Amino acid sequence: MEQKKENKNSPIARRKFLRVLGTAVAGGSILAVSGVLASRLKNEKEASYYWQIDPQKCTHCGRCETDCVLQVSAVKCFHANKVCGYCDLCGGYFRSNAKELNTAAENLMCPTGAIQRKFVEDPYFEYTIDESLCNGCGKCVKGCSSFGNGSLYLQIKRDLCTDCNECKIARVCPSDAITRVSMDTAYKLKD
Amino acid sequence: MAQNRFPKPDFESGYKYPEIHHAIPNEELLVAIDIILLVALMGIVSWAVIKKRTRGPILWVSVISVAYFGFFRKGCVCSIGSVQNVALALTDNTYALPLSVLLFFILPVLFAFLFGRVFCAGVCPFGALQELVNIKNYKLPKALTTVLGMMPWFYLIFALLYAVTRSSFIICRFDPFIGIFRLGGDIGMITCGVILLIMAMFTGRPFCRFFCPYGALLSIFSSVSIWKIKLTDKPCINCELCHNACPVDAIRPPYANKAKESRLRGVKRLLNYFVLLPLLILCGAFLMRSVSSELSRANKEVRLYDMVMQHEANPGDVLSLELEAFYGQGDSIEGLTQRYEKVQADFKLYTTIAGALMGLVVAITLIGLSVKRTRKQYEIDHAACVGCARCFSYCPQYKIGNESGNIAL
Ligand code: SF4
Ligand code: SF4
Ligand code: SF4
Ligand code: SF4
Ligand code: SF4
Repeated sequence: MEQKKENKNSPIARRKFLRVLGTAVAGGSILAVSGVLASRLKNEKEASYYWQIDPQKCTHCGRCETDCVLQVSAVKCFHANKVCGYCDLCGGYFRSNAKELNTAAENLMCPTGAIQRKFVEDPYFEYTIDESLCNGCGKCVKGCSSFGNGSLYLQIKRDLCTDCNECKIARVCPSDAITRVSMDTAYKLKD
Repeated sequence: MAQNRFPKPDFESGYKYPEIHHAIPNEELLVAIDIILLVALMGIVSWAVIKKRTRGPILWVSVISVAYFGFFRKGCVCSIGSVQNVALALTDNTYALPLSVLLFFILPVLFAFLFGRVFCAGVCPFGALQELVNIKNYKLPKALTTVLGMMPWFYLIFALLYAVTRSSFIICRFDPFIGIFRLGGDIGMITCGVILLIMAMFTGRPFCRFFCPYGALLSIFSSVSIWKIKLTDKPCINCELCHNACPVDAIRPPYANKAKESRLRGVKRLLNYFVLLPLLILCGAFLMRSVSSELSRANKEVRLYDMVMQHEANPGDVLSLELEAFYGQGDSIEGLTQRYEKVQADFKLYTTIAGALMGLVVAITLIGLSVKRTRKQYEIDHAACVGCARCFSYCPQYKIGNESGNIAL
């Protein structure tokens, strides 16, 4: 009603009224949206922040190596020493034509020779992965999971990952293994 | 898949497993710095364009923003992309929105509501990058800018559609500048980014004007903002200098609406709008709904469902990685079908809404073209103005005003 009256009076007054109306609507909508969202925030610790692979779901398809936005993938191989270390028994991460069961590069599935080990006690070895070499291809993981306990697994390194708003690997991961986790479940580890 | 084939090791030598620490950067601190810097930089810009009317600080803010938000933080999460997270959080309450993302979304909107698009002026690393490379301002024809000017809205609508259906974050996926900030990435997108930057050298901010969905959102709020950029407190002498200086064509020239339309014609025009508006909205809704199932193929579940169905039809084919994972994980086809139908239903609903909104955008653009209102002098269109502050120094009147120092807020 009021608008109509102003309308008759002058276009300037009408414009002014519309502007005030617009400002009020815009201000109100900001308040409403932030109110709704703030009520959804819950606990900051539960918020979905960081991309992590669920090692139980990952099928080591190899896309982690090729699909990360970084030149060298933020995905690296991890080893759970508590899960296994009997690699000479299963030979999972060795090439099928390995001459000797040691970590010389030519014997490993690993194309970059990133796997190192220390003899502990027959037949157990302690493993470390040279992170600067590993490219996250998952070849070792495939072997380890197919023949052994699956102590080698892939995970996104939090210090390397740039936390894309949408992880490019997650988009193509065939097993939907990559999801966001909250701040306190920093790493989805196997052990 | 992994099984426990060998029992847990049992040591005689008293061997202890090594403690393993995986590096975690100080993320909370970085997030805090992000937010503080965001507010501080927007504050500086607001002060520079509203109160001080000078461009100097804005250039510094642009440099800081490109260096910090761009190259150091690698441009993620940015305000532009946060639209998608917010839309998802509003429609899906299993998605826990981080506070930092909410702030990245709402703070620039709030500042736009108070002071105009000060975020765009130099705080947004994308805008800042384009601003810094700009050397010349060739004006584009009005017809072209009007048509292209609808694109950010379409982009926004599609981004929301794909976000709320949990299909994809297309703003992040087709981000032309992120590859430049990360010094690597998808070659196609980097090429687009470089092309846009070359264009940005010769015409103002092509990405902001013709693509950026967040800029479209901000323009709603800046057009009704509480404090507005004002070229000069002195009367405009219609010298046209500011108009030529503005990189984004935000300064509207004076216009005399000579043909005072008769009352009858005015009413007729109004009636036309009343027919046109719902018609375009309905058309849009109908068109988009009819392509809903094609659009839904962007969703992973839908693609998987199609693959599984195809495989079930001729089981002889080699399994793709997706199918291997699907059958390997022992997922049931019933479960997948349920998820598939849910996604399809979502798409039906949201494409209809999206189509209606797209019709609305077209209708508003058309109406905007036909409504001619009289302007006595050069006026800033606050929806389009990105607050770059270029125009001030061109205004001869402003110089007088500024020297005597009587600039009021
Ligand atoms: S893309 Fe997915 S399935 Fe493939 S290696 Fe990465 S996490 Fe595993
Ligand atoms: S095989 Fe691949 S994933 Fe395993 S350590 Fe080597 S590079 Fe890393
Ligand atoms: S979030 Fe980005 S950087 Fe991190 S693993 Fe995924 S694609 Fe790579
Ligand atoms: S329009 Fe978009 S890209 Fe341009 S400065 Fe604004 S938010 Fe950034
Ligand atoms: S501040 Fe002036 S020159 Fe810059 S966009 Fe706004 S109107 Fe154009």
